[in-house]
Amino acid sequence: MAKDGGAHPRREPRLSGALTLERFTQVFHDCADFSLRRLRLWGEDGPEAVLCSIVGMARTERVNDYILRPLLRSGPPPENADLPAWLAASVLYNQDVRVETSLDQAVGGVINGSCAIFLSGCPGALLAAAATEEKRAVGEPENEPALKGARDSFVESLRTNTSLVRRRLRAPELKVREHIVGRQTLTPVDVLWLDGIADPDTVARLDRGLADLDIDGIEAAGDLEEYLTGNLSTPFPLMPYTQRPDRFCRGLLEGRVGLLADGIPLGWLAPGTLDQFFKTGQDRAYHWMAASALRLIRYSCAALTILLPGLYIALVTFHPEAIPVKLALSIVAAKQEVPFSTIFEVLIMLLSFEVIQEAGLRLPGPIGATVSILGGLVVGNAAVEARIVSPAVLIAVAIAGVAGYTQPSQDLGSALRLWRFLLAILASLGGLFGLTAGCAALIYHLAALETFGVPYLAPFTTGRPTPARGPSLLRLPLPWLKWRDGPIHTRNRRNQR
Amino acid sequence: MRGQLFCAALAAAALLTGCSPLPYPREMEDMALLRTLGVDRAGDGLSVTASTGPQANGQHQGEQEPALVLSARRDSLSAACLAMQSLSYRYVFFGYVDQLLLGEDLARADVRPVLDACARSGELSLGAQLWLTLDQTAAEAIRAGGSGGVDRQLITLGTDGEMGLSLLPRTAGEVYADLLDRGCAYVPALTRGEEDAPLTAAGYGVLRDGALKGVLTGGAARGLERLTGGGQADIWTQSLGENRVVLRAEGAGVTCLPRRGGPGTLSGLTVTCRVRASCEENNTPLTSGERDRAKRAVIARETAQIRAALTQLQAWGADCTGLGLRAAARSGAWTETGERWPERFARLPISLTIQVQLQDG
Repeated sequence: MAKDGGAHPRREPRLSGALTLERFTQVFHDCADFSLRRLRLWGEDGPEAVLCSIVGMARTERVNDYILRPLLRSGPPPENADLPAWLAASVLYNQDVRVETSLDQAVGGVINGSCAIFLSGCPGALLAAAATEEKRAVGEPENEPALKGARDSFVESLRTNTSLVRRRLRAPELKVREHIVGRQTLTPVDVLWLDGIADPDTVARLDRGLADLDIDGIEAAGDLEEYLTGNLSTPFPLMPYTQRPDRFCRGLLEGRVGLLADGIPLGWLAPGTLDQFFKTGQDRAYHWMAASALRLIRYSCAALTILLPGLYIALVTFHPEAIPVKLALSIVAAKQEVPFSTIFEVLIMLLSFEVIQEAGLRLPGPIGATVSILGGLVVGNAAVEARIVSPAVLIAVAIAGVAGYTQPSQDLGSALRLWRFLLAILASLGGLFGLTAGCAALIYHLAALETFGVPYLAPFTTGRPTPARGPSLLRLPLPWLKWRDGPIHTRNRRNQR
Repeated sequence: MRGQLFCAALAAAALLTGCSPLPYPREMEDMALLRTLGVDRAGDGLSVTASTGPQANGQHQGEQEPALVLSARRDSLSAACLAMQSLSYRYVFFGYVDQLLLGEDLARADVRPVLDACARSGELSLGAQLWLTLDQTAAEAIRAGGSGGVDRQLITLGTDGEMGLSLLPRTAGEVYADLLDRGCAYVPALTRGEEDAPLTAAGYGVLRDGALKGVLTGGAARGLERLTGGGQADIWTQSLGENRVVLRAEGAGVTCLPRRGGPGTLSGLTVTCRVRASCEENNTPLTSGERDRAKRAVIARETAQIRAALTQLQAWGADCTGLGLRAAARSGAWTETGERWPERFARLPISLTIQVQLQDG
């Protein structure tokens, strides 16, 4: 039955009708990994049983030891016994066995690793869980390494990920609500929150978003982010993600709502305000003074990476009087005989920087590193010596590029890189006036953003009186941080005595 | 929609500010970056000479092109600066002028039009260091710098002055502000003894109502520095009975208090100068008697220098170190520093006290 009558109708249930062996095998016609085994129970006169499973999804040892062996070794059932119910209750060594009569449910169960047992003369089938647990082991978070903290990271298995969270948050208030997303992938996606702390409105927004998410499948992070945030007009990330369960749990403790998807070794947190993208999981591990200094450096580097190329263009080309004399003379000396204008130089160097970075990322590790060195050092040095580019421009662009790498969030770094180009172009058109107009536009853009009903610039500014936790620019001593962030509407703001 | 309307309104508002013409881009290597500007009187107009200082040479890295010197004569500073644009194949940029030389003839007439032009110019800055050139024109002083330019020498003189090793440097802005506030100001003066000799310190020119009244040199110049509370160190050899020591004295602050003859009546000023003195090049510690004699020698020398400066300043009616304003600041409601202050200052008895802090070697 179609869920809606539009151009993209969705059938629910996918397979209708009664569950029979014929229809079941018809569904898996042309499926090489479909396995079917016929048995005769309790001698030649006993009923026939047919075991159906998907090779690779069901674990062979479990099927042999906990389904086949007890079936073949058991004696006949008591008289007048309901055979499927008797087998489920008294024969099979399995925690999850049920009698299924729906074809749709049985097919789904077998695809997920269960074993369907059809008994001659009995309607429906027994569905016994025998799913394999083959998965990547919990390893270290490569993208968020920890010097002083936990070293486990999320993996592709959703249940493993929820268990990693549950091991840290043992309170029964941790709720996990599952949605199945994707017509073809049928991917389980879990919403996690701490009941009594998280904002129910944010939970409801995520639930609604996932329920409305009608796509073919979830294969990448964007399949969730772009649909759930609902804002495609900004390059700035609206949902922070992490590989680290400890950071994910910290987000839940702060009153945010988590999201985990099967097949993606990441956890998302909502709402994702701007300050979240400047924090790292290690901020709470270091001394507060060191962590505050590092956080200030990150903010400064964000300003540097976005402003420096534009500022260089504006000052050198439009407002040289604002440059200290000695620096100006150095720039003039470095620029002698360079055939290109400063604007062209900076824009081309910015583009080259992105090209070298992209080339380094797309190639395997050792080759990528070689390309980076070759592009960055050798070609850069040769270009300066051949007076194709000025060393001052090279230094300005390199500082801006390296400063961008201090951002803990690559998504934020990418957004800053895009705006860096825009501000450089505006500075090329109007000098400091253009740059200032660009900065004003950036602030306007950021102030207009919302993430799950929370202003993106919170807690710096929320547009309305909101109790804040403290200056987010700094990491205050933990005993002073007695309150959760006000702007994310936590139900219980106090987090310590 | 609201956002677009807001942006449109903002753009319209920006046009109303008069900022609609965007600045014109120029490449810095296509500019002649002037560093030193000299202004002389030429008949009823001005003769302006400017120098770039040594310039980068693109063809031969490490080598430098000789300084570019431009000169123009017009009725005003602005007109002369504009005329200079046609004298160079590059855009002549005045934004880096950090040394401003004023010829003696111009200073004797009136320097205020020049300083006013600097204040109003979009490129020239009042942050430039201001110097008087005595016994020569500013143009001669600049051209005497040769291919290396004169700017480095002036920068060194300014830095030395900030460190108490030479004349106190003054910016055009400081002098202009003093002329506007007090009607008088002092400006460091330079001279060149011989043709190829470098510029040397020649004391301070004292301006009143924009015109040069005279020059304080030698001890009087040092006395003026003490009245500002600082200045360069004074080193001399002093005989202390059988012992001869080298004494060093430097200013450590000044206070000025009004003396009242009755309610609201000013009868004089009491100036107290603090001086830090030390014995240099002295192998043996001074005895108590020698210390007293050394102290008295410092007091006598400092008193003579400061008194010489005060006498001359009072003769010119130029309170260019701001003694009146200091006294006013100390006495609260005292309002004697109005328009009649120069005449009052010229006749006012000033008592002088020197406080010496002597360190023994």
